[in-house]
Amino acid sequence: MRRKQNFLPWLMIGPSLALAFWIIGYPIYDVVMAALHEVNRFGKLRDFVGAGNFETLAADPIFWASFWRTLLWTVAVVGGTIVLSVPIAIILDDDFIGRGLMRVIVMLPWAVSLTMTAIVWRWSLHGQYGMVNETLKDLGLLDQSIEWLARAERAFPIEIAIGILVSIPFTTTVFLGGLSSLPGDIYEAARIDGASAWQRFTNLTLPLLRPFINIALVLNMIHVFNSFPIIWVLTQGDPANGTDILVTYLYKLAFRYGRIGDASAMSLVMFAVLLIFTLIYARMAMRERPEEVG
Amino acid sequence: MNRPLKSLLYWLAMAPLVVLIVFPYAVMLSTALKPQDEIFVFDPQWLPSRLMWSNFVAMWHEIDFGRALANSLIVSGTSVLLCLAVAVPAGYGMARFRFPGQSGYRLFLLVTQMLSPIVLILGIFRMMAQLGFVDQPIALILAYGAFNMAFATWMLQSYFATIPIELEEAAWIDGATWWQSLRMVFLPLAVPALAVTAILTFVNTWNEFVLALTLLRSQDSYTLTIRIYSLVGAAYRINWDHVMAATLLATLPVAVIFAWLQRYMVRGLSLGAVK
Repeated sequence: MRRKQNFLPWLMIGPSLALAFWIIGYPIYDVVMAALHEVNRFGKLRDFVGAGNFETLAADPIFWASFWRTLLWTVAVVGGTIVLSVPIAIILDDDFIGRGLMRVIVMLPWAVSLTMTAIVWRWSLHGQYGMVNETLKDLGLLDQSIEWLARAERAFPIEIAIGILVSIPFTTTVFLGGLSSLPGDIYEAARIDGASAWQRFTNLTLPLLRPFINIALVLNMIHVFNSFPIIWVLTQGDPANGTDILVTYLYKLAFRYGRIGDASAMSLVMFAVLLIFTLIYARMAMRERPEEVG
Repeated sequence: MNRPLKSLLYWLAMAPLVVLIVFPYAVMLSTALKPQDEIFVFDPQWLPSRLMWSNFVAMWHEIDFGRALANSLIVSGTSVLLCLAVAVPAGYGMARFRFPGQSGYRLFLLVTQMLSPIVLILGIFRMMAQLGFVDQPIALILAYGAFNMAFATWMLQSYFATIPIELEEAAWIDGATWWQSLRMVFLPLAVPALAVTAILTFVNTWNEFVLALTLLRSQDSYTLTIRIYSLVGAAYRINWDHVMAATLLATLPVAVIFAWLQRYMVRGLSLGAVK
């Protein structure tokens, strides 16, 4: 039961508002200002240029390449994660020998920071001394060593695969929560009516999981869109900006190339994209549990 | 289908994924325990000829692991305190009251949670530079506090809502003031929720990368994550045995804690929309 109060609750949420307005709000204001002005290398604001920085950005081919690559990155990682996580969750939800062990293994990548995961993979993929080459050669799948990360066409799919690998645990956990809330008796009824396992999957499990899939979809899209460490540690968006996505290119614009105005404009573009994602999610989440909206 | 056969099929189906997940751990362990002359060879073996536990000692001294560890503990510990200090009252207010502007506040929390620091990194850096906080723990503590606040508030709110308000009301009837009931009735019941939230926030900040990479400039102030990254980021010749030993040491304790508590994580990450 919740009581109606006007003043006291605001006192309670006050500190959190103050902290967020200061640490998150002020940088937003600062980025807006920088985006609308000419900014020198040292961060000093010069003349007001209106949409000038946005126009520079729109004329930058690397920005557009990173933009399309971000789209590919997000769709591939999120799509791959969802498609793999549904059967994984169904297996983990079933009863079999060694289920506890398998659950721990599947959840492991979540427990390790992305930075560490990426560092270990970078070493594993090392062209001369890496164990990936060695293992593939031992298995007879490879004749000679490959420099996995030296070319973007090879490095980027690897980064996508690692992105999928680290996104599976969270997604599977969401689906497991969904599966455990499905009523068991309708499966019994469907089995008695002679529905095959595949029919039960497509006609019962998938539709009932639908809300959980939607939520995992949007949350993963936000996480993956923002994901920085994997690409930064493995290739730094190189060779020749060939694996840059928006977040890594933004970082380079701001801290390597000193194009502060352009970087600020780019921040705002990405902020807008995230805001759209967030509003979609908010609508979905609040539709699921209307009483939580308050 | 009988159970052993089904189990076998499941394990076979999952085998590729299991291999991909376990592979990096095997590499970490193998490299960390190898003598150097068995690492940089063209035909590396999985098993070292002898176990070089001394790699860990050498690594500890060479990269000043202790200092980075202390930095990480200070930054993460203080961020958690700051985060809880603002999230506990906010979570309580959200769980116990209905008030004008509540749905607006929910949306506000959601936006701050979904907004990754990377998108605002330039503005954050410029602000911290103006304040003179760059390269100081306080810059990270403030940023971590602010960016983890929403997650902590969701977690706490959803747990606080499960503590019956009747208990507090009974205390009021018995003449306790609001503050007394809060301290003697509510908070003791909320301890488990506080602990889980604190630990998960701690792990989040411990693993954070981009803010630490940007706001810390000198090796003396690096957190563990950045210290280890700096070993592979800048150096021309990388001592991978030390890197792997450090990675293992930095990862393992947090991984164990996290593996134990990850099921609670979903609650805070999905705004109570997923049961």
